[in-house]
Amino acid sequence: MSRAVAIVGSGPSGCYLAQALLKATPDLRLDLVDRLPVPYGLVRYGVAADHQGTKGVIRQFERLFERQGAGFVGNVAVGEDVSLDDLREAYDAVVLAAGLSADQALGIPGEELEGVYRAGRLTRALYEHPDAEPLPGLGRRVVIMGNGNVAIDLLRLLAKTPDELAGSDLGPGPSAWLAASGIEEIEIVGRSPAAAAKFDAVMIRELAKLAGVAIRVVDAGASDDPEGAKTIAALEAIDGHGSGSRRITFRFGLTPVELAGADGRVGEIRFVDGSGDVTSLPCSAFITAIGFDDEGVLPRDALLGSAADREAGVLAPGLYATGWFRRGPQGTIPDNRADAQLLAARILADLETGAAPAAKPGRDAFPEWAGAVGYQGWKRIDAAEIAAAPENRCRVKINSRDAMLALAFQEEECPR
Amino acid sequence: MNIMLLYGTETGNAEMLAEDIMAELEGEHAVECRNLSDFAPDEFDAGRLHMIVCSTYGDGELPASAQPFAAALKAASPSLSGVHFAIFGLGDSEYEETFNFGSKGLAELLAAHGAKQVGERLTHDASGSDMAEDLAFPWAAQTVALAEEAIGENA
Ligand SMILES: Cc1cc2nc3c(=O)[nH]c(=O)nc-3n(C[C@H](O)[C@H](O)[C@H](O)COP(=O)(O)OP(=O)(O)OC[C@H]3O[C@@H](n4cnc5c(N)ncnc54)[C@H](O)[C@@H]3O)c2cc1C
Ligand SMILES: Cc1cc2nc3c(=O)[nH]c(=O)nc-3n(C[C@H](O)[C@H](O)[C@H](O)COP(=O)(O)O)c2cc1C
Repeated sequence: MSRAVAIVGSGPSGCYLAQALLKATPDLRLDLVDRLPVPYGLVRYGVAADHQGTKGVIRQFERLFERQGAGFVGNVAVGEDVSLDDLREAYDAVVLAAGLSADQALGIPGEELEGVYRAGRLTRALYEHPDAEPLPGLGRRVVIMGNGNVAIDLLRLLAKTPDELAGSDLGPGPSAWLAASGIEEIEIVGRSPAAAAKFDAVMIRELAKLAGVAIRVVDAGASDDPEGAKTIAALEAIDGHGSGSRRITFRFGLTPVELAGADGRVGEIRFVDGSGDVTSLPCSAFITAIGFDDEGVLPRDALLGSAADREAGVLAPGLYATGWFRRGPQGTIPDNRADAQLLAARILADLETGAAPAAKPGRDAFPEWAGAVGYQGWKRIDAAEIAAAPENRCRVKINSRDAMLALAFQEEECPR
Repeated sequence: MNIMLLYGTETGNAEMLAEDIMAELEGEHAVECRNLSDFAPDEFDAGRLHMIVCSTYGDGELPASAQPFAAALKAASPSLSGVHFAIFGLGDSEYEETFNFGSKGLAELLAAHGAKQVGERLTHDASGSDMAEDLAFPWAAQTVALAEEAIGENA
């Protein structure tokens, strides 16, 4: 019998790995297990609602389930609903592709104040992740700390007019929240100089399309490094863009040291600049977009710490890691693809040489998974979301787990 | 027709489309499908149609898998006279100013070395409503017909 492989997590790293494995070895028994009733990880819940083209990779991932024989085991959390040990017992190889979903903390005084939010919390709420906390009021003056693409995504969404969200899949709740936000000023602050900012120049250029803003860039500086020079050129090109009512200001080289406020609510953020001087910005909300971390359901630190070959993604015999879970919260969708292709070759070589006496049972070891959400269940959710899309939206996400599950299991209740 | 189907990709969309085109053409034609990263400029063959599917990345640049090929072509700068190619682009109109610059740049590069383009360069827009294959299949059929005239039926 063929070998059984379980991939924990159906985000891009899990899906690209499955793709590479099944392309080379079509008869593998392969399952993608996800804690959510819906697949595709951050392609669904991280990639911005107004970047639908980037979500086009989903068409490739659908093939896994529709043509290549992969199984989707949704609504099953590894480490909670099934133990990692039991999974390893049942499968010839187990791959952790569970991403990193906790927000990194800044670690400065005042972070506990109301009005201080982390990017993952906000993006999950904006994109209607079923476990999201509600969207908070941000007030009129928002400061975003961070210089990666996630910070720019948030900036852009907060700055857009309702018309500029046409064609997206931003839901009615978040759309109404944005339309009523009353934000007048957004300042985006980087710790490093502009030349070292991590965002892509093309993300900056996109801001020049915004109609309701007036953009100012303070001290972009200069750089000899070609990448840095490109970033600076993009920033200089948008400096002075627009005369809308929402003011956007880019600032660089400021290290946050303290948040202060009255009545438990943030009102001011203090920084030191390159020459050691303290400056402060008033704010009604302070958003950190500085990276992501492990949330502790799987023993990531211990597993990576004792990994047989961490670079290659080999944790222990029959146990592997890929994507953000292995590399940390860096890298875009294509990086996960490259990572997955290398790991797939390694896993197939190990399965080839491994002297397992008998093939393992795979999903047959878990009769309780009859109650998990399969691919057909997800397709019912997907179809309902697309069918209910209002004008100017390409889908409307179902935002509660209960409603997702009700739809996923609908067919059994009312056969057509 | 003898067809070399080449793809340049970053996130795999062009690879999937190339495989779909291959499945579509295979019944009637001899088709070999390869990543541009595994294709060298000295492998061009005047007796074949080179059908290319290529996306765009970064800021209007070629996708990762096409870059080594483009660099090798520029470095060796061979004459490609007598070589026929057709090209289909994948892009996203969100990137307005550089929409499908990858396939455009690659077509220009091949033409600059003397290769002859067969048919129109067609483009897909990831933000549009068309499926890539719905545009690509008729395009492929048409370019093959044109190439049969240009190269000869039995090539
Ligand atoms: C806000 C944001 C925006 C981004 N925008 C872009 C973009 O525009 N373009 C781009 O290229 N990249 C973007 N990225 C980066 C990209 O999303 C990542 O590179 C990629 O998603 C990492 O893939 P992954 O599969 O490792 O993790 P994820 O996509 O996070 O997938 C992990 C999956 O594992 C599941 N899971 C977690 N724990 C368990 C468990 N215990 N049991 C079972 N399942 C579990 C999760 O539910 C999830 O489905 C963005 C990232 C963020 C955070
Ligand atoms: C970071 C990034 C940059 C991109 N830049 C461009 C661009 O400049 N012009 C364009 O037409 N498309 C651009 N695209 C869109 C891709 O070309 C499109 O999504 C395509 O389907 C990807 O195909 P692939 O998976 O084969 O690489 C970009 C996509 C991303 C994610």
